[in-house]
Amino acid sequence: VKKTFLINDLIWIGISVLVCYGGLKLGFGSFHQPRPGFMPFLSGLILGLLALIDLISGLINHWPTEKRDREIWANINWPKLILTLGLLSLYTFLFSTIGFVTGTVLLLLFLFRAMEPRPWWVVITAAMITTAFFYLGFKVGLDSQLPKGFLGL
Amino acid sequence: LDLINHLFLGFSVALQPMNLFYCFLGVLIGTLVGVLPGLGPVAAMSLLLPATFHTTPVASIIMLAGIYYGAMYGGSTTSILVNIPGEAASVMTCLDGYQMARKGRAGPALGISAFGSFIAGSLGIFGLILIAPPLVDFALKFGPPEYFSLMVLGLMILTFLTSVSMIRSLMMAALGLVLGTIGLDNISGMARFTFNIPELLDGVGLVPLVMGLFGISEVLLNIELKVKREIFTTKLKGLLPTLEDWARSIWSILRGTVLGFFLGILPGGGAVIASFVSYAIERRVSRHPEEFGKGAIEGVAAPEAANNSAAQGAFIPLLTLGIPSNVVMAMLLGALIIHGVTPGPLLLMQHPQLFWGVVASMYVGNAMLLALNLPLIGMWVQLLKIPYSILFPVIILFCLLGSYSINNSTTDMAIMLVCGVIGYLMKKLSLEAAPLVLAFVLGPMLETALRQALIKSKGSFAIFFTRPISATCLIIAIALIIMPLLPWFRRRRPGATLEREDVT
Repeated sequence: VKKTFLINDLIWIGISVLVCYGGLKLGFGSFHQPRPGFMPFLSGLILGLLALIDLISGLINHWPTEKRDREIWANINWPKLILTLGLLSLYTFLFSTIGFVTGTVLLLLFLFRAMEPRPWWVVITAAMITTAFFYLGFKVGLDSQLPKGFLGL
Repeated sequence: LDLINHLFLGFSVALQPMNLFYCFLGVLIGTLVGVLPGLGPVAAMSLLLPATFHTTPVASIIMLAGIYYGAMYGGSTTSILVNIPGEAASVMTCLDGYQMARKGRAGPALGISAFGSFIAGSLGIFGLILIAPPLVDFALKFGPPEYFSLMVLGLMILTFLTSVSMIRSLMMAALGLVLGTIGLDNISGMARFTFNIPELLDGVGLVPLVMGLFGISEVLLNIELKVKREIFTTKLKGLLPTLEDWARSIWSILRGTVLGFFLGILPGGGAVIASFVSYAIERRVSRHPEEFGKGAIEGVAAPEAANNSAAQGAFIPLLTLGIPSNVVMAMLLGALIIHGVTPGPLLLMQHPQLFWGVVASMYVGNAMLLALNLPLIGMWVQLLKIPYSILFPVIILFCLLGSYSINNSTTDMAIMLVCGVIGYLMKKLSLEAAPLVLAFVLGPMLETALRQALIKSKGSFAIFFTRPISATCLIIAIALIIMPLLPWFRRRRPGATLEREDVT
C-alpha cells in the first residue's frame, strides 16, 4: 500500500466531514430556500465522496500510476526546507514588530547564506541592495504602508 | 462599419500616453516573468494588482493583460536556450527548441517563436473582435441556471483536460469551492468559517492563495532540486528564419493559432492545454514525425502560436460572460471588480472604451513584444545567469510583500505561507492547483447562481435541464465525467496524452 496516498485520502475525508458539520451548523435550509450552510455542505460532501472513491479504487488497484512513497519523499533537503519555512514564519510573525527594513535584511542574510554558502560580505551587500530595491518598489513606488518597527526604520 | 468605429475608439484609448506606458510596462514585466523560471504570470499579476489601484481601470487591465501575453512570449526564451520552461505554456517548446539550439540553430528557433507568437497573437485579437460582440447578444439571454451550468462545465473541462487523475482534480475543485465559501455569505451576510478572524470576513484573498500555491510552493520544490543550467554562451546570430524555415512553419503557425484560439475560449482551457495539443497534432500531421523531439522547427512554431492565440481567446468568456476561463483570467476578473467594473454581457455597452481599448492595446502590445524579444534576447539571456540561490529569496520576498501590501495585513502573509506549504504538498502528491483556484474564484458566483435558480424553481433541479443552454452545458459536463470510466477512452483521454508527452 502506498501509505502517502492512503493518508492523503483519509485527510480529505476528515476535512470533508468537518466542512459538512460546519455547513449543517450554519444551516442547510432546504432546496427551495437554501441557507448559508447549503453550499459548504454540498462542497464538503462532494469532496468527501470523491476522496472515498479515490481511496477505495486505490486500495483495490494500489494507486498504479502514482509514485512510491520512497520516490516522493526521497531527495528532500529537510534541514534547508525546514529552515526556510521557519525563517519565513518568523519573518511573518515579527514583521510588524521589527519593521520592514530590519526584518528584511535579516531574512535575506539568512536565506542567501542558507541557499548557498557565500562570503559574508557578499551576502550582506546582496541583502542590503535587495532590501533597498524592495523599499523603493513597495514603499516609494506603490506607497505601501510598510511597518517601521521598534527601531523606527 | 461599426467594427471600424469601435476599433478607432479602441486605438484612441490604447494610444493615450498613459495607456501606452502601462502597456509597455505590462509586456516588459510579462516577458521578464516569462523568462525567469519560478515566477509565472499568475504570481506576477497578483503581485502587481495592488499597484493598479491608483490608476484607471483601462490602464490597469491593459497592463495586467500585457503581463499575461508577454509571459507567453518570454517563456519560449528559457525553453529554447536553457531547456527550462519559463512558464507552463512553454513546456512543449523545450522539446524541439532546445534541440535546435544544441544544433546551433538557437537564432531561428527564437526568431520563429517570436514571429509565430506575433502572427498568432494578432490573428487571435482579430478573432476576439469578431466573436465577442455577437456572443454578448447571446449572453444577455443567460439567467442563473445558465450561469451555473456554464461554470460547472468550465470546471469539468479543466479537470478533464489537465490531469491524469480526474477524481483528484475534481477533489481540488471541491476544495476550491469550500475555500470560496469562507467569509460573509453573499445573500444572508452571515459569517462562514471565519474562526473569529476579522481578516477572513472578506474571505481568503485571491492574491495570497495564488502566490502561495504557485509561487512559494515552486520555490520550496526547487530547494530540493539540483538543476544544472546550461546556457549557450556563443553569440546568437541569424534570428531571422530562412525561407525554408518559413515554408515548414507557416501552416503549423496557422493551425496552432486556430486551435489555440478555440481552446482558449473554452472554459477550463487555456494556453498550457493549447500548446500541448497543438504539438501533438503537428507531430501527427507532419511528413517527418521522426524529426520531432530532435529539433523540428514546427515543434517550436506550433505550440508558441497556440499559447499566444489561446491567451487572446481566453478574454472572450471573461469580457462577454463575466466568467474567467482560467486562473489568469480569474485575476483579471478580480482586478475589474476592484475597479468597480462588472464583467459580463453589459460590459461592452457600459464600458466600450475599456473593452475596445484593451483589445486595441493587445495589437500595440504584440508589436512591442516583437520589438522587445528579438533585439533584447541577449539581455534576457544575461538575466538567466542569476543564480537560483539569489533568485529564490527575491521571489519569496516578492510574494510576502505582495500579499502584505494588499491590506497591509500580516494575516495575508501567513495565509500565503500556509497556501505555499499546501501547494508544495499538492505538487508532491500530483494534485492540481489550477482547478482549486478556478473553483475558488467561480465558487461565490456559482453559489449565488445555484441558490437563485433553486429559489426561482421552488427547489426543483429540473430548471437546469429544461432550459436548452443550461441543459446542453450540463449534459456535456456529465459526459465528461462518464467518459473516463469507459476503458477504451481512458487511454485516449487528453489528460493522459498530456502526461505521456510530459514524461517523454
